[in-house]
Amino acid sequence: MARIVTITSGKGGVGKTTTTANLGTALAIHGQRVAVVDADIGLRNLDVVMGLENRIVYDLVDVVEGRCRLRQALIKDKRFPELFLLPAAQTRDKDSVTPDDMVALCTELRREFDFVLIDSPAGIEAGFRNAIAGADEVVIVTTPEVSAVRDADRIVGLVEANEKGHPKLILNRIRPDMVKRGDMMTNEDVVEILAIDLIGVVPDDQSIITTTNRGEVAVMDRNSQAGRAFSNIARRLMGEDVPLQVLTSNTGLLNRMFGALGLRR
Amino acid sequence: MSFLDTLLGRTRTNSSSVAKERLLTVLVHDRVKLTPDMMEAMRAEIVAVISKYVDIEDADAIEVSLLRGDTADHLKADIPVRRQRT
Repeated sequence: MARIVTITSGKGGVGKTTTTANLGTALAIHGQRVAVVDADIGLRNLDVVMGLENRIVYDLVDVVEGRCRLRQALIKDKRFPELFLLPAAQTRDKDSVTPDDMVALCTELRREFDFVLIDSPAGIEAGFRNAIAGADEVVIVTTPEVSAVRDADRIVGLVEANEKGHPKLILNRIRPDMVKRGDMMTNEDVVEILAIDLIGVVPDDQSIITTTNRGEVAVMDRNSQAGRAFSNIARRLMGEDVPLQVLTSNTGLLNRMFGALGLRR
Repeated sequence: MSFLDTLLGRTRTNSSSVAKERLLTVLVHDRVKLTPDMMEAMRAEIVAVISKYVDIEDADAIEVSLLRGDTADHLKADIPVRRQRT
């Protein structure tokens, strides 16, 4: 039975697209048949993040409006035989699609895949409502900043009002060094404020930028801390019991010596 | 906090606890969906009702605030009443 999971956040720029690309790829690496759907109509981005931008022929709006079959629009990721992308339209606007269209699309995708991940646009308008319309479950991405957490709280309320159950939380771009010196909210702080279940914590990691620059995703890079975190989240989505890893800060020797003396820089 | 601050014994609240406190306060208002306009209108009505029964010290001194509680949030009105012997 397929699971349709929408990745959303409220605030823009917290890592929805990166999360969708990484979780989709990680699920495919773990043997699941996966479709990732870019629901950000007019601001297509999942394709470039995954390095598939040169292979687009048809898009989501073409499927909805009957100009092509779903299978024609799905781009197969040649690196992972079980991974497919349904790109967003770039030249249309979000009103080209209705929530009913999305439900119909999800019903069709459900027959072909184990997991369908939908990358939601930011905001709480039509695009967001489209993105959650066909979802079985919702994952909210946030960063430990006041603006992102406030917006995430709003999204929790809207998801629950739309009867999509309790959303799950991914806390992205944690900086362990800042958490350690009390300058960034901890996992516990954010979980206490939002009162939803945490399914993963992802460190702020330069490898996200370097892999995305190349059209690769961090889970393909064995040395990427963020990639490992996303891979663990994918396994938790599959129902495996993977403990939350303790993020280690890359603080230098000098800092550790001060730390040992009870002095914090 | 800088190393110098530590040496000189100057302390400052961690920015993360400030962030958490501010978030919790703003979320109480967001969740109850009370706009500042509505708060002000409600305050004016409360003043009108109370002043029918008791002598209020100063209408501007009345504070209506929304506070976070453990299980429920609280709407709290602080109304100073004129002290007089009859």
